Amino acid sequence: MDENLQKVDHAALRVNQALIILLGILAFVLDAAWLAALVALVMILGTLFGKPGFYFIYRYLLQPTGLVKADILIDNPEPHRFAQGFGGIVLASGSLALFLGASVLGWVLVWMVVALAALNLFAGFCMGCAMYYWLGRLSVPGFTKNPAPGTIPGMRPKVKLS
Amino acid sequence: MDMELITRLAAAIGILGAGILAYWLANRLVLARAALRVDRLGDIQPGRPTLLYFTTPTCAPCKTVQRPAIQRLAEQLGDRLQVVEIDASANPELAGQWGVLSVPTTFILDSHGKPRHVNHGVAPVEKLFKQLENIN
Repeated sequence: MDENLQKVDHAALRVNQALIILLGILAFVLDAAWLAALVALVMILGTLFGKPGFYFIYRYLLQPTGLVKADILIDNPEPHRFAQGFGGIVLASGSLALFLGASVLGWVLVWMVVALAALNLFAGFCMGCAMYYWLGRLSVPGFTKNPAPGTIPGMRPKVKLS
Repeated sequence: MDMELITRLAAAIGILGAGILAYWLANRLVLARAALRVDRLGDIQPGRPTLLYFTTPTCAPCKTVQRPAIQRLAEQLGDRLQVVEIDASANPELAGQWGVLSVPTTFILDSHGKPRHVNHGVAPVEKLFKQLENIN
């Protein structure tokens, strides 16, 4: 195993994606820019603390009740953090656009984040992670990690912790 | 209920519907691409449907759910179904060519070897049965 790779709980990532999708759609339906802004804040704070933004819901609510079980894969956590941070910034930009009255632009940005979270949740493809690895290939400083062996950049690793 | 709320709800449902349609089209694309790669799977014998099962040795849901479902299916259908299992971690190139994003992934191929259904993630035995019925 690549010594840089670590244990990443993909169940926590999936819960995070599901909540981003759910709350993003709810924000649109209720026309609640504040809710989109709140989700953006949670995502950005999660990135700064090195965790999925809604990790607390997974850890303290869903895991203890047995509703969701850990799914530990051998992976790099950094691309997921980058993806979340990037999504958070897009969502924050969308919220800002909404507060400034540019509702079409704002909701397009919110739906983009929802769509990419859905792509990750349902198809196992993390666009932000793929961007991270592409930037790494372009030798951009700070983007140093490589995908898990046998994994296409951005796709969910196939190797589970045994 | 507020008219604007209903409009926004309808818009959200429309967007979600478009997303589901896009996912369905993407699956069609995966099947069309897979059809071009069938000849590279030497194990497939024409004349009966095939269940192509991508897994890895360390995939927990494969062991606990998907494999028992496939075994049940194979027991019930006997010689009328052939099951081909591929270790995606040992054959990453093949898995990539077949559009396998995660394991388990199952493909249903008709008796001519044409991929007709794809399931990303665990596919219950009832769903696999239905898909096999559809191609007959």
